Amino acid sequence: MIHMRDVCKVYDTGVTALDHVNIDITRGDFVFVVGASGAGKSTFIKLLFREELPTSGVLEVNGHDVVNMEPSDVPYLRRGLGVIFQDYRLLPEKTVFENVAFAMQVIEAPRRLIQRSVNAVLDIVGLRDKYKSFPGQLSGGEQQRVAIARAIVNDPAIVIADEPTGNLDPETSWDIMDIFHRINVAGTTIVMATHDKTIVDTMQRRVIAIEDGHIVRDEAKGGYGYET
Amino acid sequence: MKLSTSEYFIREVLISLKRNNWMSFASIGTVAVSLFVLGVFLTLVLNMNRMASQLESQVQISVYLTDDLKNSRKDTIEEDIRALQGIESVKYVDKEEAIERLRERLGDQKYLLDALGEKNPLPDSFEVTVTQPALVQTAAEAIEKMTGVEEAKYGQDVVEHLFDITRLMRIFGLILMVLLAGATIFIISNTIRLTVFARRKEIAIMKYVGATDWFIRWPFLLEGVVLGGIGGIVAALVLRSFYAAMAAKIYSTLTFFPLMPQYPFMNYVGVAILISGMIIGAIGSTISLKRFLEV
Ligand SMILES: Nc1ncnc2c1ncn2[C@@H]1O[C@H](COP(=O)(O)OP(=O)(O)OP(=O)(O)O)[C@@H](O)[C@H]1O
Ligand SMILES: [Mg+2]
Repeated sequence: MIHMRDVCKVYDTGVTALDHVNIDITRGDFVFVVGASGAGKSTFIKLLFREELPTSGVLEVNGHDVVNMEPSDVPYLRRGLGVIFQDYRLLPEKTVFENVAFAMQVIEAPRRLIQRSVNAVLDIVGLRDKYKSFPGQLSGGEQQRVAIARAIVNDPAIVIADEPTGNLDPETSWDIMDIFHRINVAGTTIVMATHDKTIVDTMQRRVIAIEDGHIVRDEAKGGYGYET
Repeated sequence: MKLSTSEYFIREVLISLKRNNWMSFASIGTVAVSLFVLGVFLTLVLNMNRMASQLESQVQISVYLTDDLKNSRKDTIEEDIRALQGIESVKYVDKEEAIERLRERLGDQKYLLDALGEKNPLPDSFEVTVTQPALVQTAAEAIEKMTGVEEAKYGQDVVEHLFDITRLMRIFGLILMVLLAGATIFIISNTIRLTVFARRKEIAIMKYVGATDWFIRWPFLLEGVVLGGIGGIVAALVLRSFYAAMAAKIYSTLTFFPLMPQYPFMNYVGVAILISGMIIGAIGSTISLKRFLEV
């Protein structure tokens, strides 16, 4: 599903954010990417959906050779991925329904399918009855659930999340993790960068720990491993 | 393209025209003014061209013969002229006819001729027309060398002047066209840049969820074409009524003036202006997309 061989990322500024990273993630994995601030977690995440290109190394995601692919194929790589950010990135002038439907419209999905799929994912994240609300009228947790609905509405093979609970209180964070858990059980691979020790320790999933751009630990059922 | 997709594009364009209403208005205005000026030049140049070529086709060479030529000599000259390249017609005008014409042309002042009494100072002549204006000069020169020909004259200066003016207008119009088109493209690309800026969040999300570059570009391109197109329509309509008013005025004072008739001429000019507007709009948004969209 995800295959990294000797992947390095050096930014234009000369900062080495990732240094010879080797990782394989298989279908159905649930992976936490942990590490201190500035360790390279976001960089790792960005490489996966080709927001950034590796400086060297081999990177395959969902069957695409990310390094050597044609730029015109990038949209098709991304259609197989659902991306979620700490700051939700919803469109404030669109309703909940429209925000989610937008992700299908722009890949030219048929209208009837849009109606059906959007309702289905709003059910999954528990926001069916708020479909008419605008993001500004929702709590942070609800907004993040809309963002998750948008990320999964095109039925991606991998959901990629960069600190999705970073702005949320612990209880709301668990609602989000519950949704991720259900998506994962349904067969979707999940890669999530996080700072949240409690979540990582409690979930007991695969943990990849990054320190200064190096993978320092990769455990099948791990904990956060740091005292924070 | 799917129906729902075209609907999406059209809605996006309308939203952004509304959102940038001030800039949209400014772009449409600039396009309209520029295209109107271009249109004025186009109609002027086309009209002057027509005038020049009409005058040119009327250009004739007057061949004055020396006095007291034998008729047989005149016949040979006529044959020799006809043998030249590109001669359309040769007409013999004897001195009696010439003085008759002069008398007519003088009108009230024909008493001036009375002073001559029975004497007729005018020569016999041929009136020669050529098939192509460019041949006038060479034909005249060849004719002048013939024995028995005193002089071969034609209205060279007028025509050449007119052509000089048209050529100048054409060059001036071209320069103006480039400048105005540049200004218009600049304005449109700035309007589109505003739209791109207003939508940078949407564009980012579109990229994350896998919209193709062309899907992202289309609404912006369309917006540019719509702005240019509306400006073109405005310019064409204004120019049309302008031309109608001008034509009415000119015809009422100078009836013989060889103006291009309003129909279908102005329709062609209008279509040309509209298409130019749309092309300018497309170029404007393309520039802006290249520089600001990075897709
Ligand atoms: N666009 C960029 N240009 C230059 N340097 C960058 C860029 N993005 C990140 N970096 C640098 O790369 C390193 C890794 O950054 P990254 O954002 O991956 O860290 P992180 O683990 O996500 O940190 P945090 O937990 O604070 O989000 C840092 O030193 C950062 O300054
Ligand atoms: Mg980060």
